[in-house]
Amino acid sequence: MAKTLVFLEHHEDAVQKGALGVLAKFANADGVLVGSGVRSIAESIGRTVWVADDERLAAPLPQPRVDVLAKLVRDEGYDTVLFAQSVLAADVAAGLAARLEAGLNWGLVDFDGEQGRAPALQDTVVVDVGWSSDVRIGVFRAGALDAGDVAGSGEVRDAAVELEDFSSAAEMVEQAHAEQQGPSIEDADVIVAGGRGLGEPEKFALAEELAKALGGAVAATRAVVDAGWYPYSAQVGQTGKTVSPKLYVALGISGAIQHKVGMQGSNTIVAINKDPNAPIFEFADLGVVGDLHEIVPKLTELVRSRKS
Amino acid sequence: MTVSPSDFPPPWSPENAVAEPTDPPDERIEVGFLIVGAGPAGLAAAIRLGQLCEEDPETAERLGEVPVAVLEKGKAPGSHLLSGAVVNPRSLQRLFKGRKTIDELPFFGPVHGESVLFLTRKRAIPIPTPPTMVNHRNYVASLSRLGRFLAEEAEELGVTILPETSAEQLLVDHGRVVGVRTGDRGRGRAGEELSNFEAGSDIAARVTILAEGTQGHLTGAALDRFGTRGENPQVWALGVKEVWKVAKPLREVVHTMGWPLRPGRRYREFGGSFIYPMGEDMVTIGLVVGLDYRDAELSVHDLLQELKTHPRVRKILDGGERVQWGAKTIPEGGFVALPKKLHAPGLLLCGDGVGFVNVPALKGIHYAVESGRLAAEAAWRTLERGASTRDALASYDASIRESFIWKDLREVRNMRQAFGRGFYLGGALASVMTATKGRFPAGDARTERDAEQSLIRTDRAASYPAPDGQLTFDKLSSVFASGNRTRDDQPNHIRIQTKVPREVAEMWARMCPAQVYEVGAEDGDGTVQVKLAPSNCVQCGAITAKGGRLTPPEGGSGPEYTVT
Repeated sequence: MAKTLVFLEHHEDAVQKGALGVLAKFANADGVLVGSGVRSIAESIGRTVWVADDERLAAPLPQPRVDVLAKLVRDEGYDTVLFAQSVLAADVAAGLAARLEAGLNWGLVDFDGEQGRAPALQDTVVVDVGWSSDVRIGVFRAGALDAGDVAGSGEVRDAAVELEDFSSAAEMVEQAHAEQQGPSIEDADVIVAGGRGLGEPEKFALAEELAKALGGAVAATRAVVDAGWYPYSAQVGQTGKTVSPKLYVALGISGAIQHKVGMQGSNTIVAINKDPNAPIFEFADLGVVGDLHEIVPKLTELVRSRKS
Repeated sequence: MTVSPSDFPPPWSPENAVAEPTDPPDERIEVGFLIVGAGPAGLAAAIRLGQLCEEDPETAERLGEVPVAVLEKGKAPGSHLLSGAVVNPRSLQRLFKGRKTIDELPFFGPVHGESVLFLTRKRAIPIPTPPTMVNHRNYVASLSRLGRFLAEEAEELGVTILPETSAEQLLVDHGRVVGVRTGDRGRGRAGEELSNFEAGSDIAARVTILAEGTQGHLTGAALDRFGTRGENPQVWALGVKEVWKVAKPLREVVHTMGWPLRPGRRYREFGGSFIYPMGEDMVTIGLVVGLDYRDAELSVHDLLQELKTHPRVRKILDGGERVQWGAKTIPEGGFVALPKKLHAPGLLLCGDGVGFVNVPALKGIHYAVESGRLAAEAAWRTLERGASTRDALASYDASIRESFIWKDLREVRNMRQAFGRGFYLGGALASVMTATKGRFPAGDARTERDAEQSLIRTDRAASYPAPDGQLTFDKLSSVFASGNRTRDDQPNHIRIQTKVPREVAEMWARMCPAQVYEVGAEDGDGTVQVKLAPSNCVQCGAITAKGGRLTPPEGGSGPEYTVT
């Protein structure tokens, strides 16, 4: 069995959901936490977790993390290092691959200890991917794994921090956060998405009301984002976000493939559209042919009355 | 009242694409020779320069740290390359003489047999292959794949290729081209700087070789800046093609004429289709139509879908699956539309950008390679001791005139225009031109700008098949099959007037194979709004021919072709 290390990216006091998902999937894997004042986070995990705790690691910069991971892999003989996709993870994984001359497979959805599985050709097929290097590095696609139960046995161990000169060349000047209201569409269990069939921008209120009643988030298609009806941050699809909620309600969305690839991983897809030939009915679990302007308010009302 | 697209010129001037260097000299990126465009012309130039550097390292020293650089706007070399393609290998053989044999080039194999069919709605009538179209000893290729191969060869010779980098402005200093400015990256829809904003840079070079392909952005600007446009305007055709995985191998290259295009003179529907085998299990099928057509409802994409429903064609694709789709324009003006000069101070022009395409033979790749190689040799001559740069660059024009490019294009110079007189008369005239090797008729037939053709409407769209997702496809799923995943929130790179008569708006909406244009609301004064979805754009260039202007979007945008 592979000796596996999972990079546990953290924000403030919590490990990222995606990284926990990767750790949860591999019961024998160890974790590594890199930062400043992160020991207490490591203790809460309940697995063998290496901690590199150092002030110089406070800023989320990649190269010092590559130093820590590369040393750990060499000293402890890990042959597999796994990441959950994020901006930082992408940088660290790429740097580590270069440092260790190791192969790196991207966008994994599965890994069996030897081989990985990854969607290809814009998600139309899933292919086996392998490594020819001694050390395997893999980055899991965002949302590919559920953040399940990570608990196991283990201890917190200290990882040595020896930074290369060139690793301290970059310094963080500023860190800013985009403001967000309501649940983000990546985290929401329920998404109500609106397309051009809503008719006009004001009608997004229908989607918002229903989302509120269901406790979900609102998403939009490219066409309506392009038309300026809704912000880009809510765009789902090939050039927007990829989501996989438990329930996806599509209002007035035709279901062009560019949209489909961003939401086809949803557990249940409900589509309301007045055009019976809309492609979305080919992959919706429940399709309603009808006027959404009549149906949605009643649906919202029904959800509210059931909940109260 | 008749309208023409040219009545509504785009809000754009060639001046926008020419500038003086702005970066301070010590911040400019200095290279020896700079090539714009990693297509067959640009990469042939790069390979030849790489070979010359290898043969004469002492002279190459003088070119600095980066002797040869190639800018490519696509995600990778090959991403924006699309062609038939049946390739005449002669220029590649010359380029790789003593280094590579023909078996080492990435072809799908030689042409074994060919047929030309005249189609009616139900029937396919074999006709004798016109002499210009004989493909004996030619090879089937994917130009995208050939581009990747050439890029690897170039890199092995020490050439630096910079993908995802668009050349946005030609840098001209005191009347001399000194390099190009690359496009900014990370701008938002309104042009604002996003968090990942990266300004473009000035790249300075001893000689700049423009090999931008069809509708070259800087090539057009250079011709205007130096007053070297040809006597006749350039004209274009739009080709849309698909690559299919098929159940049974196709054994021959097939060309069709006739249906679904109409022969009548008033329609001006000049074109035809090609169906080529790509090895045992793939087939490519494409339709090319001259952009001097007049019908506002003509859509080359939908005509290609219609073509596939012909019993003869359907039989070839039966049981197969579409794997890729793409579109591109082809310069068709030929000899009479060539620029007066192919060089300017500090500058050389080659390939499709200047219009080296032989329309009756359906060929241009070997001219691109040949002109790229000749441009490289002229550029290298500027390094010779005691050489005058001006004479060295002027020698490029002379070498083109002595090459087979010139001879071939001259012979067929009047054929394309003859077809403006309808299919049957055009065909008859073309036969006479072939028989006399172009001596008849003696003069040069003129070309007229595609955008100047007045629009008509004949209910053309009524026959387009409804997409079934198996054999026939809509435009959006086709854009997906081009690999296009362009960032949506970048500035619009298409210049058009957005308030035009309905015919013009509809013509753009139908013309565009990638569904970039949409006819919007009526304005109440007889005009309509045109709405754009620029991130759908596969940069085919049809809009530039038909009354708008395509400018380069952020580098890395557009299709990601691999087998076209």
